[in-house]
Amino acid sequence: MNVSRRDFLTAAGLSAASLALGACDSSGPKRAESLLMRAEAANRRVEGALFRHTSMDHAPKGAVASGDEFPSYFVSDVVPVWDTAAQGAWRLEVGGMVRTPLSLSLDDLMKLERRTQRVNHYCVEGWTAVAEWSGVPLRTVLDLAGVDRAAKVVDFESFDDDYHESWDLESALHPQTLVAYAKDGKLLTPAYGAPARIHSPVKLGYKNTKYLTRIRLITDPNGGYWTDRGYEWYGGN
Amino acid sequence: MPRHHWIVRLTHWVNVLALGIMIGSGLRIFNAYPGFARPGGTFCCYPFEGKSIPSVVIFGGWLAGARHWHFAMMWLLIANGLLYMGYVYLRGAWRDLVPRRNDPRDVWAMLRFYLGLDREHPRQGKHNAMQRGAYFAMPWVAALTVTSGLAIWKPVTLGPLTDALGGYQWARYWHFLSMLALVVLALGHVFMVISVDPWSLRSMITGGWSERFSPEARNARPFVHLWPRRGSVAHPTATAPAAADVPEAP
Repeated sequence: MNVSRRDFLTAAGLSAASLALGACDSSGPKRAESLLMRAEAANRRVEGALFRHTSMDHAPKGAVASGDEFPSYFVSDVVPVWDTAAQGAWRLEVGGMVRTPLSLSLDDLMKLERRTQRVNHYCVEGWTAVAEWSGVPLRTVLDLAGVDRAAKVVDFESFDDDYHESWDLESALHPQTLVAYAKDGKLLTPAYGAPARIHSPVKLGYKNTKYLTRIRLITDPNGGYWTDRGYEWYGGN
Repeated sequence: MPRHHWIVRLTHWVNVLALGIMIGSGLRIFNAYPGFARPGGTFCCYPFEGKSIPSVVIFGGWLAGARHWHFAMMWLLIANGLLYMGYVYLRGAWRDLVPRRNDPRDVWAMLRFYLGLDREHPRQGKHNAMQRGAYFAMPWVAALTVTSGLAIWKPVTLGPLTDALGGYQWARYWHFLSMLALVVLALGHVFMVISVDPWSLRSMITGGWSERFSPEARNARPFVHLWPRRGSVAHPTATAPAAADVPEAP
């Protein structure tokens, strides 16, 4: 991170001024924004450097699964439901920078290695909820497709309007990152992203694209629905 | 020689800025889900579950904005704290801050004086016993706030840390409890500065200080004797050994 003395003093002075003016939920001085963005970029590097595939999440002992109280949201006007009659059978496309592009049905996914894990779901708002997720480790799917060495980012697209979120490849390859098709032992319902979604405790909830349609390997971060609205791109736990 | 080294003065005011922004933005983040219960669950011990923190004390504008401030300013807070602690440790300034064996008794003596039960300000060194307690506690409480903050920022990557604090939920409790303790310490500190020793603002800005203006010389208690005694040079009893200085029998 390259912060000049002038930038630093400007930001320090401006934030002191904004503090003196009273907080009142101000978003702070406009000129501090570039400094905040640079701090975010630096944090992204710190988070990437600390990230380990051996760091595993586990639900706390004795924690009760949230079940139907598990919060859910979507960005379309109504809960997105895949319409087989109109859109044909649902399939998951894996493409972009891969040797073998894939098109997988739900049955195909369920025939692959299955992982079931009882983990936390970390929301950006600060709450957590526990559920048992079942699905294919994303790594298994990506190994099947053969990821190009130059690919660094994975973009997860959905049929929930224009919702998508892109991730660093390392987080996508974490053993707890699933293409999940079941929650608490039952196939996903539309509220939780049926027929399949990304779920991983290593990313905040908003990074876990529901209503998954396509996994695309690319070279550079491609933002995402919430990322484009100002939330952190990395959004990792 | 200045009463406070420039590193102490600098880190003090940077701390005001960094801690202020951390608390304001932290409460703004909290307002996105203003409670401690898991969705569908309950929490025993927070009476304002589900109620937003008033906007006068929050900062950041919206959840993402507050998060950006929080995760940027934390590095300033950490660097500033390490600089201060490094100075205090290496230059021996901790001697004025570490509580002493007699401090519980001396705190009681200060309280008796502040409550008007004793007429004369107890003898003290650089700080009185209550100050030592507060100034000594502040960095350790802040260290807990920072540690628990890191634990809820990276609960998977820093899993062992989060587990050591009792898991994500507990780390969140620690984060808020220690923050609340910092707020109480800071408000008490500001109240005492205003009501007992506004002259200390000068020593915390320029480092300048004179014995005549010390609370001990003024015999100052909250809102009493803010101005130095006419013609006084030091505490009138300063030459006579006070009871507190007589060694105790073993």
